Order: sequence, then C-alpha cells, then structure tokens
Amino acid sequence: MNTKAVGLRKRKETVWGWILIAPLAAGLTLWVIFPMGLSFVTSLLKWDMISQPEFVGLGNYISLITESDLFRTCVKVTLYYTVVSVPIQLILALAAAMLLNANVRWLGVFRTIFYLPSLIPLVVTSIMWLWLYNTQYGLINAMLVGMGLDRVQWISSTAMVVPSLVIMSTWSIGNLVVIFLAGLQGIPKTLIEAVSIDGGNAWHSFRHVVLPLLSPVILYNLIVGMIKALQLFTEPYIMTAGGPANASLSIVLNIYNHAFRYGKMGAANAMAWMLFIMTMVLSLIVFRSSARWTFYEGDKR
Amino acid sequence: MKRSRTIAVVAVLLMGTTFATFASGAGEDTTTLTYVYWGSTAEDAAIRAALQAFEEANPTITVEPMYLPGDLDGSTYNARMTTMAASGTLPDLGYFRPEEFGNYATNGYFMDLSDLVERDGMDEAYLDQTWLSLNGSIYGAYTAAECQVMWYNPEVLEAAGVPTPPTDYRNAWSWDEFVGYLRQITVDENDNHPGDPGFDANNIQTYGVVYDLWTAMYYPTLWSNGGGVFTDDGTDTIIDSPESIEAIQMLADLIHEDQVMPYMGGGSGLPSPTAMLQNGQLGFYVTGQWTLLELGQMQGFDLGVAALPIIKEPAQLYVSGLNVVFDATEHPEEAWALQKWMMDPSRTLDLYTSGLWMPTKESYYTDEEDLARWLDNPVHPDGYREAVVDSMQVARTEPIMVRNYNQIWGDYLNPAMESIWIGRSTAEEALTAAADALRESGLLEGLY
Repeated sequence: MNTKAVGLRKRKETVWGWILIAPLAAGLTLWVIFPMGLSFVTSLLKWDMISQPEFVGLGNYISLITESDLFRTCVKVTLYYTVVSVPIQLILALAAAMLLNANVRWLGVFRTIFYLPSLIPLVVTSIMWLWLYNTQYGLINAMLVGMGLDRVQWISSTAMVVPSLVIMSTWSIGNLVVIFLAGLQGIPKTLIEAVSIDGGNAWHSFRHVVLPLLSPVILYNLIVGMIKALQLFTEPYIMTAGGPANASLSIVLNIYNHAFRYGKMGAANAMAWMLFIMTMVLSLIVFRSSARWTFYEGDKR
Repeated sequence: MKRSRTIAVVAVLLMGTTFATFASGAGEDTTTLTYVYWGSTAEDAAIRAALQAFEEANPTITVEPMYLPGDLDGSTYNARMTTMAASGTLPDLGYFRPEEFGNYATNGYFMDLSDLVERDGMDEAYLDQTWLSLNGSIYGAYTAAECQVMWYNPEVLEAAGVPTPPTDYRNAWSWDEFVGYLRQITVDENDNHPGDPGFDANNIQTYGVVYDLWTAMYYPTLWSNGGGVFTDDGTDTIIDSPESIEAIQMLADLIHEDQVMPYMGGGSGLPSPTAMLQNGQLGFYVTGQWTLLELGQMQGFDLGVAALPIIKEPAQLYVSGLNVVFDATEHPEEAWALQKWMMDPSRTLDLYTSGLWMPTKESYYTDEEDLARWLDNPVHPDGYREAVVDSMQVARTEPIMVRNYNQIWGDYLNPAMESIWIGRSTAEEALTAAADALRESGLLEGLY
C-alpha cells in the first residue's frame, strides 16, 4: 500500500472535518465560550455599565460569601425549592407516565393533554397561577372555603410562598412525563410477563423490572429537573418580585436585580459563577452516586 | 459578458436609490429626533399627540417616538437605558428614571443645559424643584409635578355618616380623627364595625382606606411625623428613628390593629383600589395624583378629594419622572426646542387637563388665568386646588441623589416594609434590623 496516498487522504479528511465542525465551533466560541469568559472577567470588576470599571479581584466573591446575608437567603430559598420540587415532580411525572402506559384508550390525546402545559410560556402560567392563588377571590381558596376550610395566604405569606411555587411547578411536568413514557414503552413486555409467571404481583414487577430498567431515564430527568429548579426565575419575578420579605428571592432573581436594577454587574456575574459551580458540584454528586442505583442493559451487576 | 451585465444592474439600482433619496429629501434639511418615554397607553397617546403638534410647528424636524411601556419601579426601563448607554445607541432626548440621574450625570451622559436655560430665561419661570443640577450644572428637569393625594367616594362617606373632609392642607384631619372615621366606614357582611364583637375581618364589605404602599408613597407620612429615610447628606438612614418607626407603625396599624385597610400586595386578590373606590367598597384612597387620569374618566361616580391627614405637620411629596437631553445627540438645538415644548403646559395642555400631570411652570400655580386653564374642567374635582395644588408649597422632593437608591430600597427597606405589612414583624423590629443591615452593607455612600 502506498503510505503517501493514505496520508493525503487522511489530510483531506482532516480538512473536511475541520470545515464541517467550523460552524459549530464558531458558534460555541462566539455564543458560549466568549460570553462565559467575559462574564468571568466582569465578575472581577466593580462595574455598572455606565461608569469606568474598577478591578477588584476576587472582592465580589469574598464579599458575597462572607458579608451578604441576602446571598445566603437566596441560596437557601433556591435549595429549598430544588430539594422539595424535584422529587415531587419526578414522582408525579412517573405516576402520570405509568397511568398513560397502562394501555389506555386515546393515549395520544391524554399524552397531548399532559404535555400541553409545558408548551405554555412560563409568564402566562405565572399570571394564571397568580389568579388561582388569589387570597380573596382565587379559585383554590374559593374551593377551600366551599369545603368549610380557612383561606390560605398562598404567595402572600413567607411560609407558604415557596410551597406555592412547588405546587405550581408540578403543573408543567409534561416534559418529564413524555420522557418517562418513552422509557416505559421501551421495557420489554417479556420481562414483565416473566414476573407474573413467577407469581409476582404488580409491585414486584415495578420494583424489580420497571424501576431498574427506567433508572437511566430517572437519572436524566433528575439532573435536568435539578438544573432547571436551580435556575428558578420567571415565577418569582412575575408573581412575587422575590417577596414577601425576600422569602422567594431565588439566586437568578437576585442576579437579575443586581445586574439590571442596581447596576452591580460584577456582583451579579460573581453570583452567576457561584451558581454555576454549585450546579456542577450537585450534578457531580448525583452522577457519582448514580453508579450505585442506575442499571444499564448489558451491565454486569 | 455576464460580469458587465451584473455591474450594469448594480449601477442602475444604485442610481435608483440615490434619486429616491434626493426625491424624499426634497432638497430640504430635515432633522430626526428620537424621543424616549414610558407610561400607560393613555399617556402614550397624549405624548404622541404632543410630539405631532411639535412636528407641525417645526416642519424641518421629525420626531420618532420610542415608547417603552414601563413597570412601576422602572427596572425594565432602567435596564433598557443601561444597554443603550453601554452600546452607544441612546436616543436624543426623553424621559429618564430619577434614581439613576446622579450616576448618568456624573458620567457625562446628559447634555449640560445650564446655558440654554439661562439664555431662554427658563429658570425663573419654573418651580424651584424643577431643574436638576449636579456640581452647578443643570442636566435635566422634572417632567411634571406629581404628588400624593387622598381621593374619596362621597356616597360611601355619606352612608357612613362621615362629614365632608376638609380640603385645606394646613387644616386637615388629625390622624386620630381620620382613623375614627375610617372605623365608621369599615363594615363587614353583618354590619359590624372594627372593634364590635363578632366583627369578621375576613369578610369586609367596605374598607375605610387604601394607602398605596411603595417607595415614594411612604415619604409624606414619614415627613408628616418628623421622620424620614435618609439624613440630608445620604450617609446614614433615619428609617429607624422613633418618628419614622411610629409613622410606619401607624400605617401598619391601619391593616392589623384598626382593621380598616386591606393589604393589597402579593396576590391579595382584591380589585384595584380605583375600582373599589368606584364600586363603593372603599372610602378613601391615598395614592399618586396621576390616578386622576383613570378616575376622571369613570362614569357615574362623583370623585372627592381631601387634604392628607396631618400627623404632626402638613407634608407633601414632589415626585416625577425626569426629562433629559442625552449628550450623544447630534442636534442639541432641536432637542432643546422639543424639551422646552414638552415643558410648556400651553403646548401639551391635554396632559394636564386629563389629570395625569401637574405643571412645572410657576405661573400655573399663581396666575388665576393659567390656573383655570388646567383646573377648570370636569375631571378635577372641587377642592383640588386647596388640597393638592396649594399643598405643593410644602412639597419636598424624593431624595433621588442618594447613591445606591434602588438597591437600598430593593434589598433592605422594601423587604422590611413587606414583613411589616403582612404582620410578620412590628415596625420597630423590622426597621431597626433593616437599618443595621443597611449600615453594615456599605451602600450608604452619600450623595451624587
């Protein structure tokens, strides 16, 4: 074989390779790597976009960690929301998916109905829930009063505001449901039949067949749901403006306030980086632990 | 062959556009100004009409309206300004958020108007508070004079046996008198008043009062009790002074102690206070005077205006958006002409007769003829002049030159106020804690 010809072909392939990934590489550089770099540089500055920036090194990070009660508050609020909302969403989505998977008639119709709320812009959803949560005239309280119960101050009390947002978050679990449903439909019927032949009941087939085979899907939904929850913004921005008394001030809302309301670009970017690190650490923890509870077909156990 | 044909086509196209440009220019020098502003749709319509009138009077100038529908605290408007300033695409002139004035003026984003104001003899003709200067130069003006007012529904008062409230701002009701009448008005489904046995605070039919509870609207009550928010040099807060705490507690007591006022924030779900006032669900509404634009158009209801109750001394607030000419404008003279036009009540009379604004021009407060021009109409209720217009004599401006104004309110004072209104803490607890945190935050950096 002529090595020279192979070399030439290889080089040609390399060139084509570069050409083909060029759009993606350019896009990634321009819209991901460059803004991230810029954001990091900005996080080292004291800058309001109006006056001359002033270099403060890690000052923004240090003052956030050591001095800012508000930053602590928003981290607590965000973690609280994430820890409560993500498991609830996963459980409800899995339940809905299993109901849909139970060979119902008009599966397509129901699937669409469950998915529809996810298609509605979050701003619209937020305004709709604002009406539902209305203390005086909201539908939810009207139902409670009708049942002889007391009115609940949903988003206007510090204790209930985050739980209210959690309840609201379960409304748009359509994405999770569809992914779970796809996972469920990929489970071989033969395995479930095998369980019933062996005398197992529905719980056995769920616990020993469905759950293990679905675990990669659960992992995916868990990670995606967690990242989404950590970036909570639209609901508190529209519905509560972080209130009452900062009880629903999420990290991203705090970032927005600092960047666009208070002209504190440096602090805002520092917070964004700390959120990024937090998200990464949490995702890593989940990934590491996942080896123990996820099961891939073909794995040895 | 092919190439020369392409060139020919391009040449023809180019010539075509050149001719078109000439034709539209008609050999005349026209200047285009961009005027930026926020506001309700009604304000938008009024501004557009005023700009159009300016164009008709100045055929060589075209004005491009740039309408940014705003939010109450102006954060989206501010964000838009910041991005335009950072990218060098600011318009020629227009509205500006007052709290950001100092920062932009310091950094040279506004045109220095001092010489033009002096040349055209504008400083004497306007109210003292109107012109905004920094380091001896004028960089902008308040668009209008706006303040706090107390509307009422006469039918509700009459039904409750409450006498017609005074309109003289110096001889208004005392706070105790006021609260007494509010208790008289407030009534639940079973005709019980606050304090009666069996009064059901969850099913109130008619409320005594609604106070608008946001930043600027706190000042008159604080000032009337001798309190305030900042020291004069802006390096310390006095929101935790006994007078300030007492004043805020008085407002909180209206909600929790006297039970004559609903808390309207965060999904309380009541209809807007203007609607409640019109429906007879509300006796008094203490709010910004600009709500007259909406209330004045409501049919079948007779609006009353009363002087603000006095705690220790009469107080009034001068608040408004600003009007500035941006330094980046290429047409300073034309922009100044438009700015003057917008400040002249005789050119934009609709904005005043409709109830949206009060003039900044002095003669519209002192000259009977000018007063009649904007007050003598069905929109402005009887007593408006004594209760509102005359009260501007004691008006103080919002302390907008305090550095970090938005963050101080947004991160510290507003959350404290909210926890007071929802009854989670007393004024003393919340305001003392907020003031301490604020002093530690390093945000009290004085004035611009």
